Amino acid sequence: MVLSWLKKSLEARAGTADARGLVIFTTVEEAMKAEKVLKKADFDCKLVAPPPDMRKGCDLALEIDLVEQTAVARALTGKVSFMGIYPFKGEMEPLQVEKVTRFAEHIMIKSGNMKLVFDIKTGGIVNISGGGCPDIPYLYTRLVGTHLAAAPRPKDEGRTLCALMLDRALEKALEIWKGVALN
Amino acid sequence: MLIAGTVPVTDMPLIFGRVEKEGKNLRVDGHYLPCTQGTMAMVSAALATTCHLGLEPPRVLLAGDIGTGKGSRLIYQYLIEHIEELAPRVLALHYCLPIVTLMQKLYTAIEKCRPRPVLIADAGSMYAAKAAGVAPHFDIFTPDPSEIAFLADPEAVHPAYISRHLFEDAFARVPELIKRAYANGGAAKCLLVKGAVDYIVKDGVIVDEIKEPDVPQMECIGGTGDTITGMVTAFTYAELELEQAASISAKANRAAGQRANPTPATSVAEIIDQLPGVFRENLCSWSGICTR
Repeated sequence: MVLSWLKKSLEARAGTADARGLVIFTTVEEAMKAEKVLKKADFDCKLVAPPPDMRKGCDLALEIDLVEQTAVARALTGKVSFMGIYPFKGEMEPLQVEKVTRFAEHIMIKSGNMKLVFDIKTGGIVNISGGGCPDIPYLYTRLVGTHLAAAPRPKDEGRTLCALMLDRALEKALEIWKGVALN
Repeated sequence: MLIAGTVPVTDMPLIFGRVEKEGKNLRVDGHYLPCTQGTMAMVSAALATTCHLGLEPPRVLLAGDIGTGKGSRLIYQYLIEHIEELAPRVLALHYCLPIVTLMQKLYTAIEKCRPRPVLIADAGSMYAAKAAGVAPHFDIFTPDPSEIAFLADPEAVHPAYISRHLFEDAFARVPELIKRAYANGGAAKCLLVKGAVDYIVKDGVIVDEIKEPDVPQMECIGGTGDTITGMVTAFTYAELELEQAASISAKANRAAGQRANPTPATSVAEIIDQLPGVFRENLCSWSGICTR
């Protein structure tokens, strides 16, 4: 219900900034503090008025590049409280559908545009495929060759929505691996 | 031919030059880079193609970027300022952070070029072109099924925000998604949709479908889409029609995969190593380009 309300409000702003998103706060102070935190960390952001329906005590929101959602959330967590990050248009939440493909000795998890492959016997990550953001080739070098349980989390080391999708694939892979390991 | 994209090296400056192969690595402007998923897989495949055809090696514009956007911004800015003097006949844009405002500026700069380069985009640059509303002005995109779902969704700003119903059976609905992508202004003039079936599309019409050899393990291997885009770039530079360049690239990628006899753990470098043999055996019959 809240999401559909947010969606309606944000869609009114669509068209001006198709690939931008809004960080929504409960207070002006939090919005201003968040701007300082993000600018200090070199994010491209600006304080804007939230959509009219959302002006219930919060008169400021922060406009960001939506592709950097993962990094923005990480930069704010523990420093500034925020209600959520939303795109100006389209779906309000990133896709959460994981597909599993089994090979003889490997399992491939597909989440959005990202794929992660691990060895069924060892739990080692053997390949990462898909994606288009620059942190993905970097995460490939960090994750491939490591064990699922010991791998760095893409949502901790990556910055983009591709990294978020990869993190979901890793999460699903871990879930399957734990099931495999228990059997 | 100019290929522009980021590489996963922290703080690598903007570099520009012709690419050379040295052992297992590629050398550009004194920097040695491994052939891994992303821009360097694309460059490696393009180089294998130009070597076979006896063409000059690709010029590349690279910058280090691990997701901060720093290197991506350097690439966009350099191209915006220098594209007219660089005057590439074919320009391929690859792994860059999708920064819409910079893509719009770059497209404005490209429009001033005479002649205008053939424009190829994949990965983040394709996302940026769609989000910037300039997709129909590009000559070819090389999406996979989840990315064609993104191009078909007028509301999606990134493949992570595709409508669930478009994603869930994207593989089975590629022809329908292709139509929607064109109807919604999300497609380039040509598309090569990579997947279990590779679809070659020109102006909204599927002109070729490539299904064989079927090597399912290829989907697992990071960089096997990048290699297709690299070959498309090189074959386009060799003055093949876009759809022919796309068909041959899709066939060559599959053939290289089959020759490598891959597992899901195979690296893209092992696939690229097979390209010279694939070209020697097949290119003459596929394209009429017969080299000694």
